[in-house]
This record gives sequence, C-alpha cells and structure tokens, in this order.
Amino acid sequence: MSVVIPWLGQFAKGAVVVLGVALVALVLTIVWGLLGAAAKLSGNRIAGAIADAYTTVFRGTPELLVLLIIYFGSAVTLTWIGKQLDPSVRFINIPPFWAGAVAISLIVGAYATETFRGAFLGVERGQVEAARALGLSSSQTFFYVRLPQMWRLALPTFGNHMISIVKDTALLSVIGLEEIMYVAERGMTMTNKPFTMYAVVAVFYLAFVSLIIIAVARLEKRLNRHLVRAR
Amino acid sequence: MLKSFIAAAALAVSAFIAAPVVQAQEVLKVGSECTYFPFNFRDVDGKLKGYDIDVADEVAKRLNAKTEYSCLKFDGLIPALLAGQFDLIAASLSITPQRKERMDFSVPYRLSIGQFVAPKAKKLQLFDASNNVLKQNFKGIRIGLQRGTTYDSWFQAIVPEAQVVRYETVEQMYLEIKSGRLDAIMTNPMKTYLEFLSKPDGAGFEVVGPQITDEKYFGTGAGIGIRKGNEALLKRIDTAILAMKADGTLDKFSKLYFPFAIYPIN
Amino acid sequence: MSFDVALILQSLPQILEGVGLTVQLHLISLAAGTLLAVGLALLRISPNPALSWPALVYIYVFRGTPMLVQVAIVYYGLAQFEMVRNSPLWPTLREPFWCAIIAFTLNVTAYTAEILRGGIQGVDRGLLEAGKSLGLSAWHRFTRITIPIAMRLSIPAYGNEMISLLKGTALASMITMYDVTGVARTIVSRTFAPYEIFISAALVYLALTWVIQQGVKFAERYFNRHLRK
Repeated sequence: MSVVIPWLGQFAKGAVVVLGVALVALVLTIVWGLLGAAAKLSGNRIAGAIADAYTTVFRGTPELLVLLIIYFGSAVTLTWIGKQLDPSVRFINIPPFWAGAVAISLIVGAYATETFRGAFLGVERGQVEAARALGLSSSQTFFYVRLPQMWRLALPTFGNHMISIVKDTALLSVIGLEEIMYVAERGMTMTNKPFTMYAVVAVFYLAFVSLIIIAVARLEKRLNRHLVRAR
Repeated sequence: MLKSFIAAAALAVSAFIAAPVVQAQEVLKVGSECTYFPFNFRDVDGKLKGYDIDVADEVAKRLNAKTEYSCLKFDGLIPALLAGQFDLIAASLSITPQRKERMDFSVPYRLSIGQFVAPKAKKLQLFDASNNVLKQNFKGIRIGLQRGTTYDSWFQAIVPEAQVVRYETVEQMYLEIKSGRLDAIMTNPMKTYLEFLSKPDGAGFEVVGPQITDEKYFGTGAGIGIRKGNEALLKRIDTAILAMKADGTLDKFSKLYFPFAIYPIN
Repeated sequence: MSFDVALILQSLPQILEGVGLTVQLHLISLAAGTLLAVGLALLRISPNPALSWPALVYIYVFRGTPMLVQVAIVYYGLAQFEMVRNSPLWPTLREPFWCAIIAFTLNVTAYTAEILRGGIQGVDRGLLEAGKSLGLSAWHRFTRITIPIAMRLSIPAYGNEMISLLKGTALASMITMYDVTGVARTIVSRTFAPYEIFISAALVYLALTWVIQQGVKFAERYFNRHLRK
C-alpha cells in the first residue's frame, strides 16, 4: 500500500484532467442532446432523419472506436475544411483533451437526445397552451415554461448520463491523454503492483460517481419541491 | 439555470478557440511514446527525459525552435503524424522501407536491434549455432511484442506461424513475462538490459539468441520521423544531427544512459 | 485529403475474422451474467439487510467504476499475486479470453440485477393481492405472476444492456485479444490508415447492434401479444 504514496501527486494531477474533460464533455453533451431532441420534435423530416442517424451511429458504436476515429480522423477532416476556407492553412490538430471531450459528448449526447425528447413530450400540453394564451412568444415559452419542466423530468436519467461521461474518461489514456489510467499504467511496472494501482483508480471513480449521485439527488429534491404535499 | 448554461457554453467555446497558442518562435510539435525508458520516458517528478528527447531538443535548439511534446501509445504515433497531430516523431522509430513508403526520416541517430528475452528456467533454443532461426522451436510458445514495432514486421516475415501476442506498451510485456503468461518477448536489448535484466526482478531472465539487425525489417537505425513534403525542414534536421555526431554531442547523450555509444558510427 | 473508400471495403473481410470472438465474448458473458443476476436481484430485494447490503455494495461498485478498470484489474491485477499464479485457477486466469469473460460477466450481473429489480418492483401490487386472495402460495405468486410480468417490463432496459455489453467487448482489444477492435488496431498499425479501418470496424458493430435490436423488437411483440387486438 505504501508503494502508492509517491504516486499520489501524479494521480491527483490525472484526477484534475479527468474532472476537466468531464466538465467540458458535460456542457457539450447538453448542447448535442438539446439540438438532437429539438430536431426530432420539430416535425421537419430532414432534421429528424439526421438526428436519427446521429443517435443510431453513436449509440451503436463502441466508445473506444468512436474515440479513436475522432482523434485520428478529426485532424484530417478539420484540416480539409480549413483548407477549403483558407488555402494557406497547414494543419489543424486537436489535442487529445478536446478530441476526448468531444468524442464522449457525442456518445452520451446521443443518449441524452432520447432522454430530452421523452422529457419534452412529458411536459403538460396545458402549460404550453396557457403560456401561448397569455401572450408569451414561442421562444419565451421554450425557455421559461418547457425547458425548466423538461429538466425536472429528465434529471434522474440525465444523472445516469453524467455518470457515463465520467466513466468514459477512463478510455482517454488510449489516445495519450495523461489522466489517471495513464498514471496507473506507467506505475504498475515500476511498482510491480498493478492491482493496487488500478484499485486506486477504481476508488477515485467511485468517489467521483458518488458525488454526482448525491448532487443529482439534491437537485431532484429542489426541482420537485413544489410537488411535496403538506402532511 | 439558463443563464449559467449560456455562460458555461461560452466559456467552453472560448477556451476551445484559445487552445491553439500562437507563438513567435518556431515551434516543432513532436510526438513520442513517453514510456520507453531510457529513450523517452517521464521521470518520477513528471519531466520528459531520455536519449530521443535529448536529441530532439538539441536539434530544435540548433534550428532556433522550441519543442512541444505529445505523448501517445506507440502504435498511434505514425497515424497521428500522418493525420497532422504533430510534425515530428522522436520515439526510437526505426527507418524501414515499409515506413518510408508513407513518411520520411532524418539520418539515423541511433542503432536499431532486436533480441529475445526469456526466463532462464525455460532454456529456450530459438536459433541454431550459426544464428539461423529454428522455426519448429517457436511452436507452442507465446511471444510478446509491442504493436506496430519493427519486431512485429520481422515476425510476420520470418516466423509467421508463431503465436504472437501484441501489447500497447513494453511495461505490459514485462508484467506478462514475469507472471508467466508469455514465454518470451522481443524487444530492444539495450533498453531491456538497463531497465529489466540488471534489476532484481529481472534476475531470472536472460537474452536468448543473437542480436538481430536485419536491415530489411529493422532498418538502418532509428531516425526522426517527418511527413513527406517537408524537404526543407528535413535538410535542416539532418544537418543538425550530422553536426551533433561530429562534435561529440550524440556521444555525450549516449553516455548519459549507456556505457557505450548507441548511434551509428560510420 | 484522401479518403480511401476502397480500403474500407478491402479490410472488411479481415475485420470480420474478429466477429467470431466478439460474438463469443458477448453471448457467454450475457448468459452467465443474466443467470447470476437473478440471484443477485433476489438478494437485493431481500428484507434481510445481511443479504441486501452486500448485494447493494456489489452493484454499486460495478456500476460506479469504468469497465476498462474492471477488465484491467482482472487481467493485470490478479496476475500480480503469487497466490493466484500458483493456484489451480491459473491456467484459466492466464488466458485473456477467460479474464475478459469474468470481467464482463461480473459487470453484466450488476447491471442486469438492477434491471430485474426494477421489473420485479414494477409489477402492480393489485395483481399480487388478487393472487393472494385467490389462494396462490408465495412461490406460485412469484413464478406465475411476478416473473412473467417482470420479464415483460424489463425487455427494453435489457435490450439496452445487451447493446452496452456488445460495445464493452471492444475493451478485449486492450488485453491483447483479436476481437473486431483488436484486429482493426493491428491492421491500422501496419497500414497507417486509422480513419478508414476504424470506420470499417464501426460498421461491423452497427450491423451487430441492428441484429440485437431486431431480436428485442421480436421479444417485445411476443411478450406483449396479449395486448394486441
């Protein structure tokens, strides 16, 4: 056990990287999820088809593969796009931190699309009709009536998505991101204790996941406070 | 709720845009494995060190440029270079005809050799007295290799029927040969001697067979990898390396890790 | 930018060689995990805390840690211990195949137990009360009412778990196996064309996912046949 101590500093650095990627991925996941849900609910055939293709592809492909494709392919694609816009562009490359965050967000975003779509459908029509009747514009209705209520319904499942985001960060060592799995891999031969090193990684993830579960439970309570009945 | 969402999204997007830093001095983006002691590795305090790193940094200094390293698993280095993730590879990359079809190399700054390592107790006999491969003795044993290395190509050409297990890192191979999952591994003998055979855990292991330097598979040595089409930069790098050989810098770097010279003397 | 479409098609036959291993890993872990999950689910809903607490901890640990970490601990971690290497289990644990099966099975067990628990607890209490008043024993109530209904309720979530497991099998490539992803990575390290080869591999997984989804649709129709007009 004591063999781990000199490595704790590196583990801590790796943990910070994981947190960073998870946060960026979280923001992007919400973006893709809302866009996808909006596309599917809009009634527009083309938008719906694109969103369907998006969810099918990203829910059906292993996370490891998506990560590898985005890391190796993104530079090629972006450079090609860049060259179309400005021929003097030499190369646009994506550091593994961003490639990883984008890849994870696209994957979990596909699941979030379905979650948000179901949640939007769950908002009572009566509320939307009342809002329009009171004179609120389409976008005002969206931001002040539909979105907050959608969150209340989506939160439990979205909490699971947040946990998925955190767990997927473990794969990033494959594309060279120096996070905690990477530290464990390097340390395991030097210390000759792969079990211990990986156990530390497992404990870290359990702690991170537990924090999310607690935070989501608190948030759920707060969002549902108007529904608590008086004794 | 909405305001914080917009703020967070704006922050993420602006960080994304700011990520590529604009520098006044020429920056050479270099890809390396970073876990290949003693050629490229991270010290316990986190600093990148090693023969490959020393050579790359010195070349950059002579070109009036700064280096910026990206660490990646070995088998991902060449695809990443070709995709534009970085400009150079300094990772003990051997110069082989197969690789030269897709990329260019500098002049070699290190010798390339391979050798088998196996437990003493097994008494493996993989080569005969005149150093020819004894193919039948490869049957039924498991040999560990790092994915994408020249050892992989040698195996494919010379003993394709051998049971080869491919790993991402050399560390994993050492663990596996210690636990008994592998019967032998093929790797760089200089490196293996320093980090494994001369240490207490390596006591029960030894090199088996001769050092293999077949140029067809191992190439003429290890060089700095670069994409095709960068002739000007390549010339500057070659000039720097040859100068480093002539004025004894390569020798100095070699002696930091080995009691002998590891660059091609010709 | 050169995007070699021909390469995608050329590499498919080689990549398909990995399908056999992927399917084996998937089916064996799924079957073993589901079987164990039934027991675990029963422990989890047991009123006796000495039974339900360990079950809860097991489920929490396996759902709260990344599958990659679980696979690495079973493959590299267990081999660290002399006791394991000298035990009669070693010939099995020595093989990456069995290490992968063990890790995947432990994972599937945890997730499936939760799915089954959700299904069991979703059975309408009224139906159980009706059964009781009709004189059915506890065992009969469980096997004739709870289980069939719980199975029907669990199908969508179980279908998702089957797909999750399929995606998880790609992690076998991280412990030296030549499943679809493992074969793809080896080809990439020789041809240096990651984009095309990995897309090829992704297409294979999408095809396998489609097969699972068809199976789930069929199962849903079958289990809901009493609701069709």
